[in-house]
This record gives sequence, structure tokens and C-alpha cells, in this order.
Amino acid sequence: MTDDQGQALRLEIDSELTNTTLIAMAIRGLCAMTALSPVEVNRVELCVVEIVNNAIEHAYGCEKGHRVEVVVHLARSALTVTVNDWGQPVARSKLEPVSLSVDQDDPALWLSSGRGLPIVHSLMDSVLYQRDGDKNSFVMCKRIKA
Amino acid sequence: MSFEAKNEAGYTVVSMDETRLDASISEPFRIYLFDQIDSGSNQVVIDLGSVRFMDSSGLGVLVATLKKMAGQGVLKLAAPQPAVLDLFNLTSMNKLFTITPTVTEAIEG
Repeated sequence: MTDDQGQALRLEIDSELTNTTLIAMAIRGLCAMTALSPVEVNRVELCVVEIVNNAIEHAYGCEKGHRVEVVVHLARSALTVTVNDWGQPVARSKLEPVSLSVDQDDPALWLSSGRGLPIVHSLMDSVLYQRDGDKNSFVMCKRIKA
Repeated sequence: MSFEAKNEAGYTVVSMDETRLDASISEPFRIYLFDQIDSGSNQVVIDLGSVRFMDSSGLGVLVATLKKMAGQGVLKLAAPQPAVLDLFNLTSMNKLFTITPTVTEAIEG
């Protein structure tokens, strides 16, 4: 396994939703090197897919030909995934954690979109969004229990 | 991507030849489901047995379909794999949908 410094892997796809699967499969492979449980691996895959899709759909408006970069840092105690794009930034208001609860009696409140970021907030141990120049970075971390 | 609908005991059973119900196919799947409903299907079972992975876009399609039926029909989800069921539980969507372990149980239930 990795030492405390860990190991890093950089992946890059073009901004097409069909390419997200490539990242997902790579993440699953990396997670297989860790002590994460099968349920945790599924959840990490879900979170990475949500953020990569978010970059393609919202930063680039589903326009092909743009770069989405995923940097994975694997250490003994944590898996950190950074998703970088160079498109439109996410509005701060959309980054606030919101509840995933649902009112069964009010169909008007049953959302058919907008659950991606709340899912990530609920499943990852830490989440950070930052903009540096024209680069947007979404950093999420999952602790690995020995 | 390929979706299929067949009639079983008064239900329209929709299945898909896909292992991932994600953003790359969610819109074609939504159109397919809406077409089924617009064609008169008001008792629908969606067979999720082949789907190993679902993201929030896939989930959103199912919610949109449930809303489209607007309480005037029956929508059941059958045979979800563990990661898919986990997503329903995480998002509380298990409270909105009738979810059964098999298609047969969805039809007979």
C-alpha cells in the first residue's frame, strides 16, 4: 500500500458525459487498492461522477472540446479527489449543504434535479470548492479506516 | 442505449440493456418513459435489475416520471442492485417509490 505521503494519479477527459464512465472505472480500480468497503467504493464512485458531470454540464454547458481533470491522491488514511475545470464557476449559493429529506405529501417539492452536490456533501468527509484564476477545483476527501 | 417495454398482467414492464443509468442516458430514458405514459400506460414497472450504477440524473428521471403520472397510475421499481438501493435510501427517495426485490413481486404485489 501507500506510505504516509501517498501516491497521486492525474486523469483527463474531454467534456462529454459518456467519458465520465472512464473516470468512474479508474476510481473504482484505485479504491480497490484501499481498505474502503464495497459500499464506500460505490459511494466514492457516485460522488466523483456527480462532480465530473457537474463540470461538464454546468461549467462547460455540455459543450465538447474542454478539459476536465481529475487528480486522485491516495494515502494510507485518506483518498482525496480533485476535479478541475476551466469553465463557468459554480454559484456560491449552490454550494451550501442542503437536506436530502423529502415531503411525501407534496409532489411539487419532489425535485427531479439538484441532488448531486447534496449527495456529495452527505457522503464525503470533507468538501472544498475553490477558484484560482480561471481554474475551478472541487476537492473531496474520504477517510480510510484501517 | 436500448430500452424495452412489454406487457405483463396489465403492467407495462420497462427494462434497459444498460449497466449505468447516468447523465449520459438519462434524457433519452426520460423521453422513452414519458412516451410510454403518453401512449396510455398507467401501470408501470421499471426493471432496474441490469443497472449496477445510478447517479442523481438517473434518479431525477424516475422522480420526473412519478410526477408525470401525478397519482393517476402506478409506478413501481423492481430489482434494484445494492448501489442503486443505497442511492434511494441516501436521498430518502425510498419513501416516494414502491420498490420490490423482483419484477414478479411488483406485478403480483
